[in-house]
Amino acid sequence: MLKYGLAYGLLSTRRRAAELVLPSLTTATGAFLVVVVFAMAAGIRESAASLGHADEIGRAVVLIAVTVLLVGVVEVAVATTRTISHRTRELGVLGATGVPRGPVVTALLVEPVISAVAGAVLGSVVAVVVSLVLDAVGAAAAGVSLGGAALGVLVSVLVSIGAALATSVLPTWRAASRPPIRSLSTGG
Amino acid sequence: MLSTLGIALAILSVTVVRTISASFALTGAETVDAVVADAQLWVVPADGVTYDPEAEALVADGAPTASLDLPDGWTALRTVAGETTVNGKTVAVHGLEGVDAGTALVPSSVAERLGVTDGDTLSLGGSDLTVSLEEDADAGDTWITTSADVATTAVGDVGWWTVTVPAADLTRNDLGAVLAESTGLPTTTDPAVSPDAAGDGLIYDTVGGSGATTFEQRYSALFSGQVTSSALGLISTIGLILGFVIAVSSFLAAVHERRREFGIMSSIGLADEVLYFFLVESGIVFVTAWVVGVLGAGAAVALVIPEIATPLAWVQASAMVAAFLPAMAIVGALVPVHRLLQQRPVQLLGGL
Repeated sequence: MLKYGLAYGLLSTRRRAAELVLPSLTTATGAFLVVVVFAMAAGIRESAASLGHADEIGRAVVLIAVTVLLVGVVEVAVATTRTISHRTRELGVLGATGVPRGPVVTALLVEPVISAVAGAVLGSVVAVVVSLVLDAVGAAAAGVSLGGAALGVLVSVLVSIGAALATSVLPTWRAASRPPIRSLSTGG
Repeated sequence: MLSTLGIALAILSVTVVRTISASFALTGAETVDAVVADAQLWVVPADGVTYDPEAEALVADGAPTASLDLPDGWTALRTVAGETTVNGKTVAVHGLEGVDAGTALVPSSVAERLGVTDGDTLSLGGSDLTVSLEEDADAGDTWITTSADVATTAVGDVGWWTVTVPAADLTRNDLGAVLAESTGLPTTTDPAVSPDAAGDGLIYDTVGGSGATTFEQRYSALFSGQVTSSALGLISTIGLILGFVIAVSSFLAAVHERRREFGIMSSIGLADEVLYFFLVESGIVFVTAWVVGVLGAGAAVALVIPEIATPLAWVQASAMVAAFLPAMAIVGALVPVHRLLQQRPVQLLGGL
C-alpha cells in the first residue's frame, strides 16, 4: 500500500513541479553556504585568526551556515502546508474511498523530500563549482578542501531531508487524519 | 507558525553574529580604555601597535620615540609594552618606571590563565619576580606589570607613551595638535590610521576631534567591523533575506486562504481594515520570532562559543536586531495585502 502512496505522491509532485521552485531555491541557498563554508574552512579560520578565538569563530560559522540551511528548509514546510490546503478535497476523496492514513501521508511527504533533495543537490553543485573556480583563479586564500566539500554536501543533504521531514510530518499527519466528510465539504 | 520558525531561525543567526561582533567591540573598547586610562594622548611607535588575541592585550611592535618635548605642565609616561611566554602561555608585559624590580603585578584574570597565585615566583626575562595579585584590576587589564628594566629584558625595547595634560588644558579640543607641534610627530583622532613606518611615531588624540563618537567607540567599531564584514556577516545577512522571503511567501499563502473573508470586508468598505489586520498579524509573527530567535541565539552562543560571548554583548545584539524588525514586519504585511487589494471585491468573493 505504501508503494502506491509513493507512486501517487511522485505523480502528483510531477504535476505540481512549478510549486517546488521556490522551496528548492531557498534550500539551495542554504546548502550552497554550508558546502562553501565546509570547503573553505581553512580560509575562514585563517581570516578569523587576526581576531583571536579562531576555533570558536570557525564553529560559529558552521552553526550559522547550518541555521541558514534550516531557514531555507522551512520554506519547504511552508510549501507543504500550502499544498495541503490546496488539496484538501483530494485528500477527502482519498479518505472516503478507504485509503488508510499511512499511504496518504507518504504521498504527501514525497513533495517536501524531493524539493529538499533537489535544493540540497543544486546548492551543493553550484557551491562546488564556485569553490573550484575561486580556487582556480586564486581567490580562495587557503585553498579549497574537497574532503571538506564532500562533508558539506553530506551534511546539507542529510540536514535538508531531516528538517523537511520533521517540519512536514505534523501538518500532513493532521490533514490525513481529518474526517473525509470535513475535507470534502470545506476544502478548496 | 512555520513562518515564525523560519524568521526565528534567521534572527537567531543574525543575533549570533551580532553577539560575536558586539563582544569584540566590547573587547576593543576595554583594551584601548585600559591602555590609555586617564591619559588624553597616546603616542605609539612607528611600527604601530597590534592587538594580540592570545594575550588579549594591545602590544607595541616597535620602540617608542626616545623622548618627547612636552609643553609646560604636561606629563608623559613611558610604558614598555610587549609580549612574552610564561608557563607556556602568551602574555602581555608592561614595564613602568617606579615599579619595584622584584615584583610582578598580575591581575587575577591573568593569574588564573597562567596558573600562578599571590606570592609565587615568576621567571621573566631572566629575573625571578614575586607575584603580587591585583584583585581590583579593570576588565581590560590583561597584562603583567613590572619594572621598566625587567620588562625591557623580557620583551625587548617596545612600548609607547601616554601623555596627560593639566586640568586647565582639558577643555581644549586640539591637544593632539599642540603635542604634534612641540614634538614634530603627526597626530590623528582616527584609530584606523596606522603610523607611517618610516616616521618616528604617531599621536592618537583620544579626546579631541569632531564627531559624536569617542576614540574608544571608534576603536571598538574597528574590532566589530572585522566580524560583520567577514564570512559570518555575509552568511547571516543571506539568512535574514531568506527568512524574509519565507515570511512574505507564507503571508501570501495566508492571504490566499482568507480571500473570501477579505472580499466580504472590502465589499462593505472596510478595505483599509484588511491592511491593519495584516499589520497586526505580521507584527505578532515577527515579535514572536524575535523572542524565539534571540533566546535561541543566547542558548547557541552559550553552548558553542562560551569564550567569546558575554551576556552584555548578547543584550546589545538583541537590541540591534530588534531595530530592524518593524521595517521587516511592515513590508512583509504590505506586499501580500497590496496584491489582494488590487482585486475587486467581487473577484475575491467569487473565487475558490
